[in-house]
Amino acid sequence: MSDLVIHVVDLVREYQMGAERIQALRGVSLEIRRNEYVAIMGPSGSGKSTMMNVLGCLDTPTSGEYWLAGQEVSRLSDDALARIRNREIGFVFQTFNLLPRATALQNVELPLVYGGVGGRDRRDRARRALERVGLGNRMDHRPNELSGGQRQRVAIARALVNEPAILLADEPTGNLDSTTSADVMRVFDRLQTQGQTIVLVTHEAEIAAHADRVVTLRDGRIASDLRQDRTRAA
Amino acid sequence: MTRRRLARVSLLDPARITEGVGIALESIRVSKARAALTILGVAIGVMVVIAMASMITGINKAVTGMLEQAGPKTFMVMRHFHGGVNIDDGSEQPWDRNPWVSVDEGRLLRRVPGIAEVAWREETNGPASAGLNSVSSIAIVGATPNLIKSAGGQIISGRAFTEIEDAASSYVAIINDKLAEQLFPGTDPLGRLVKLFGIPYTVVGVYAEAASLFSGSDTAPIAVMPHSTFSKAADYWRGGLFLIVKPDDSTTVVDAQDRVITALRVKRGLKPSQENNFSVVTQDKMMEVYNKVTGGFFLVMLALSSVGLLVGGVGVVAIMMISVTERTREIGVRKALGATRREIMFQFLIEAATLTLLGGTIGMAFGGSIAWAVNRFSPIPAAVPLWSVVAAVAASAVTGIFFGLYPARKAARLDPVDALRYE
Repeated sequence: MSDLVIHVVDLVREYQMGAERIQALRGVSLEIRRNEYVAIMGPSGSGKSTMMNVLGCLDTPTSGEYWLAGQEVSRLSDDALARIRNREIGFVFQTFNLLPRATALQNVELPLVYGGVGGRDRRDRARRALERVGLGNRMDHRPNELSGGQRQRVAIARALVNEPAILLADEPTGNLDSTTSADVMRVFDRLQTQGQTIVLVTHEAEIAAHADRVVTLRDGRIASDLRQDRTRAA
Repeated sequence: MTRRRLARVSLLDPARITEGVGIALESIRVSKARAALTILGVAIGVMVVIAMASMITGINKAVTGMLEQAGPKTFMVMRHFHGGVNIDDGSEQPWDRNPWVSVDEGRLLRRVPGIAEVAWREETNGPASAGLNSVSSIAIVGATPNLIKSAGGQIISGRAFTEIEDAASSYVAIINDKLAEQLFPGTDPLGRLVKLFGIPYTVVGVYAEAASLFSGSDTAPIAVMPHSTFSKAADYWRGGLFLIVKPDDSTTVVDAQDRVITALRVKRGLKPSQENNFSVVTQDKMMEVYNKVTGGFFLVMLALSSVGLLVGGVGVVAIMMISVTERTREIGVRKALGATRREIMFQFLIEAATLTLLGGTIGMAFGGSIAWAVNRFSPIPAAVPLWSVVAAVAASAVTGIFFGLYPARKAARLDPVDALRYE
């Protein structure tokens, strides 16, 4: 089963809200294979964000198992999770979350800095990642000198640079107009055809339509898990 | 294992350090008042360290120079040696009953074997004038002709007065270069007259004041006349006479002291049970007192610089807490990208240390300027010692790191989910 990138078994995540105990996830089981293109959907309050945080190793489940790239990660320490995130997960956020003072290249280098990659090797890899998203000519620009679509592509390059097991995108087009959204989605589509495993968390059907498989959450459980023929822009 | 080691090595990654420094400079630009307080505090602390250390070094150098010139074996015999700060409350002290040291005792000591020279010296203040030039108050000294031979110093021109002149109570004087400059600017004072206590004295020599612990300040204008003349012409307190004793080359200081003490005890008829009613003061003892004084200096320095660094430290805490809050989201992103707690902490500590090192650099510049000014405008040959620079850099870096620790820890412990959600 080396093919399994994500293997989640009976995942529960509870929060203490004052006297109340809230179950954001109530027993989710899910398998995602290499090179799958999965969209996780659901209305707000469905547990979508919690699911994304746990899958991204930003949060740990109250109970259940989470195997990521063959390693059980649901009980790891903070720092161990940081290293897992560094190696196995590439995040793309709705608000880009680039460092404003750093150039595109420096932003992309950041995961390599934390991964202990130094010098020329780091610069070369960051440069290649930017070229992959079509920003080879914008490396020395700061985020405020780039358009929204370009910023998101820098963020995608940053997510890719460590060759993670999954690309985890949280509403990646939420802050973009429709033309730019299409642009960014084309980048995801191309990456998937190049072999990248991608998990999109979104509430937009149009975005989810790019995926091969749509997992819908409702009230902390999986309501549906459907394969589909993706619609892709040419 | 190798990953761990890599992660550790990468902490010292130049990109990361320059990033931390850059962020620190940025936050200084943004919050000028807070940064100014921090920088000022550290700067004052460092300035005090540098300035005082350079002065102490200068004084040390001067004192060591004096000792070398006077000869390390020369010592003093006096009625009483205070040794440090002494508060006179008017009540009788045990040494008030000590008899004055006398010229006769000086003559006696000259006959003690192993003693090369015994000079004596008394001093008072008075006006001096020559022609139209006058100085309202100078040190007027009465001494034996061998004063310079025993206590150090150098005849620049002319000669010292002679035994015969001393015996005859002649109206001759030697003056130091300082007085020569003030009374006879641009002319040769030799053979001219100087009026002391209203009486004219012939200047027979000009000397550079003895670089000696026994001769007071080396900058004040001084005139020295034969002791016998002094005791007749001057109106002064008679208890201040002291003897300057120089052992010969083959006699150790300890032996010479023993002999001097024995001779004086016999002369004064002290019983074995009685304590010495005079003081023998070696340069070692003087050094002890001097060291006590510099020790006090050091304490003051330490206190002042601690206050400065503390103010700076509180500033560091304030500015860094704000920096952490403002950048909560960024911390979340960094954590998402794989920064460990230690890496976040390191980043903020670099930022804090940059802040205080900047203060330290400014403080060093000011402290160095003070040292330069002291060196230039005062007799203290102040020089910034290397150790004070090292101490200053270390103190400012440690201040940054110590006070930055709490905010940095706070940043490092942020929950990535909360931090990413922070608006």
